[in-house]
Amino acid sequence: MLRLASGHGYMLPLREGRRQAASEAMAPRHTASEDAMERAPAAANPDELRPVFEAEHISKSFGGTQALSDVSLTLYPGEIHALLGENGAGKSTLIKIMTGLQQPDAGELRIAGEDVRINSSQDAQRLGVAAIYQEPMIFPDLSVAENIFIGHTDRGAIVDRRAMERDARATLDRLGVSLDVGEPARGLTLAEQQTVEIAKAISLDVRVLIMDEPTASLSAHEVRQLFRIVTNLRQQGVAVCFISHRMEEVFEIADRVTILRDGRWISTQPRAEVTVASAIHGMVGREVVELFKRNRHEPGPVRLSVKNLHREGVFDGITFDLRAGEVLGFAGLVGARRTDVGLALFGIAPADAGEVELEGRDVHIENPRQAMELGIAYSTEDRRQLGLIMPMTIAENISLPSLPRFLGPGGFIDFAEEVSTAERFRKRLAIRSNSVETPAGSLSGGNQQKVLISKWLETNPKVLIVDEPTRGIDVGAKVEVHQLIDDLAAEGMAVIIISSDLPEVLAMSDRILVMREGRQMAIFAHGEATQEKVLSAAMGQSGDLFPDGSAAAAVAAELDRLVQGKGLEAGQ
Amino acid sequence: MMDSLLRRIRPEQFREVILALVTLGVLLFFASQIPDYFNGRSVNRLTMGMAIPLTVAVGQVLVVLTRNIDLSVSSIVGLAAYATGTLLARNNDLNPFLAILFAIALGLILGALNGLLVAYGNVPSIIATLGTLALYRVALVEFSGAKTVTTSELPAWLDDVPGANVFSAGAYDLRVMFAAALVVVILGQLVLRYLPFGRRLYAIGSNPDAARFAGLPVRRDVLLAFTLCGGLSGLAGFMFLVRFGNITVTAAQGLELQVVAAVVVGGVSILGGSGSMIGALLGVLLIEVLQTSLLRWQGMSEFVKDAILGLLILIAVTADAVILGRLREMWVRVRRRDQEAARAAAGEGAIGG
Repeated sequence: MLRLASGHGYMLPLREGRRQAASEAMAPRHTASEDAMERAPAAANPDELRPVFEAEHISKSFGGTQALSDVSLTLYPGEIHALLGENGAGKSTLIKIMTGLQQPDAGELRIAGEDVRINSSQDAQRLGVAAIYQEPMIFPDLSVAENIFIGHTDRGAIVDRRAMERDARATLDRLGVSLDVGEPARGLTLAEQQTVEIAKAISLDVRVLIMDEPTASLSAHEVRQLFRIVTNLRQQGVAVCFISHRMEEVFEIADRVTILRDGRWISTQPRAEVTVASAIHGMVGREVVELFKRNRHEPGPVRLSVKNLHREGVFDGITFDLRAGEVLGFAGLVGARRTDVGLALFGIAPADAGEVELEGRDVHIENPRQAMELGIAYSTEDRRQLGLIMPMTIAENISLPSLPRFLGPGGFIDFAEEVSTAERFRKRLAIRSNSVETPAGSLSGGNQQKVLISKWLETNPKVLIVDEPTRGIDVGAKVEVHQLIDDLAAEGMAVIIISSDLPEVLAMSDRILVMREGRQMAIFAHGEATQEKVLSAAMGQSGDLFPDGSAAAAVAAELDRLVQGKGLEAGQ
Repeated sequence: MMDSLLRRIRPEQFREVILALVTLGVLLFFASQIPDYFNGRSVNRLTMGMAIPLTVAVGQVLVVLTRNIDLSVSSIVGLAAYATGTLLARNNDLNPFLAILFAIALGLILGALNGLLVAYGNVPSIIATLGTLALYRVALVEFSGAKTVTTSELPAWLDDVPGANVFSAGAYDLRVMFAAALVVVILGQLVLRYLPFGRRLYAIGSNPDAARFAGLPVRRDVLLAFTLCGGLSGLAGFMFLVRFGNITVTAAQGLELQVVAAVVVGGVSILGGSGSMIGALLGVLLIEVLQTSLLRWQGMSEFVKDAILGLLILIAVTADAVILGRLREMWVRVRRRDQEAARAAAGEGAIGG
């Protein structure tokens, strides 16, 4: 794509007819989806049949895990291409490869038919590939105009503020939005910040715009506005790669849909040929192998009872009972706010409202110390940054939260007791290390996880919350962690397991609470939960994003039926 | 050789070993250059010179371990020295122990103020204590009316303290003040090693977030570290009064940099979480040796001396970042290899890796 002279506006070279179309895109939004139907996959223009971006047979592994294997993706100019997949399906890795943050182990990338290597985000920018994330990366102290043109190197040595602001305004006009370009970006809403990022991208002649969950933090109104901008970009010939966990949005806006699962390409189809059920099935349709066989047993009395737990702007309406000896799974996609509920119960980011009863007593948990005294323990998902003190030894890490119980005469730390306690855990959890006086930092991920859990078990909790207990650890250690959780439940511990690994939640939990964007969508008993049902609930509609009668509303209804367990056969 | 050494000690402990060797090297160098280097008088002067910075350094280590810094120590020393001096000048009969307690209590209060600002006011410690460094000094100027406490106003017993010995061996004395500083070092080391508080300081400095996630009272401990640092600076203020007798408004000015330098040279990570009192002791020793010896050696000027001290700090910090990083890698490798060997021997295969 040619680049028109700089200095006054950065217009894409549009033919007159298409420029017209651009202004028509501002028409009422229901036309957008109809329009999309006709256009998919791309209009019959010889220019546009040539893909602007091709990724072919891309593979990438990290250590032992294969993040992507033989994945291909083709983007045409003027299409909105949705990328669907569960957590860990490989979407993020694919995006990182497209934007030069990571290099593929194998496979080719082509832009406008030419082989390219994208070694850095500068390369990506030069080639016209840009990405926008859920959290915009803006400079709060610079003005809107400065933010838009920060990446430009061809505007001369001296900043002509007036020209820059004029060009910024022109760029925003093309998106159909108006912002005060002289104002600092600090005061902008999240949606406006995203708009600035989009403007920045198109000012650099973007040909491929990747949007990674751009709508996750936006209000319904802002989502509609964003969609107007995106359809506008489509009219201008930009290829938009759109990632969302909201099924309604995908069906509302996408021209084509590509599904990834476990790092593999599953399908690419025009949107009209995809149904909600077929999409869900494609995302979870893996062989159901029983990961781990729990020793199911009848749980005891209610230990933790949570009613309408609420934290402003984070989560709302969380209600569940947890019994002694029960494992309650928290399932959901990225951004479901499961961890935030864990943090609230442990007092790190306390809830604003709601009732928590522990063994029948009302409690208000304000800080971690108090939570510990009440008998709640939370083993974090981020064991390296938040879980363990890496330079400290295994024994020192295990005793840290319960140091007052390791005091000998005179208030001194009883090292012998500390070491023998750690030894006990080392044996019980099979922590592989020469000695418990080895720093935690030198252990493998699986063994660090065992140390982290040991540390919390040593506080004798009544309720143990484990967040992503098997993330990034190998299969052997994973089985051991599962065995441990099963044993703890058998001994009467009440366990909450937060996990993004759907098969793991299904295998380990007695009941599964599904969250989506801070709301509790469903609670399934072990027997009734299936991958399809859980994922349907996790992707279902949680608000009134779209008006009744729209395509999106139909999708939401469809998801509802899937959650009820009906209509699963339809899409297969 | 390296491997077997790495099996025995942690990389952090290397720093102290290296520092001890460097200090020994420096001593031997000066001994070869300066005739009669180890005579009783200069050794006694050296240990006397160490007493005050050493006492303050112990407090500073507590603060630095938590990933903070206290720049106001010199003003606390000056203020405590002056206030205690004034008190004693007005009440010549005051019990000496009450005077010491007064100096320490004053320091504790000033230190607690720093701690409140940092731990509960969320002011970055370098800013907060830069502010109080100036404020406490101004308080001293205002309080004193720019007058000087002179030796003649002070009770007679004060004159005897600097020269007082715990014991002597030939020409070498163990002066009471230095002995007191050593006791402080040892107590400090015991606190770090054996008390939960000490353990928590390391945890907080290594990873403040993880410390919070472990339910540790992070704010309270940071407050306590600053408070103790203030208290020890107050004690050092009393020592200052005893040693110099004449206290002006500029008393102990610049001491904060000397102490921070000693702590850093002594291998206490300025990023918190690692270091020891023994390291700080070695740091104070090395800097004091350089300061006194450079003056004796060819009468080097003050400026060159400062330049050498500055260079020393840069070397210490750079060496820390570069060498220690390498050592850590080697250390992890050796441990891994040993573990794999042990695992293979136990026939466990490669599970759990």
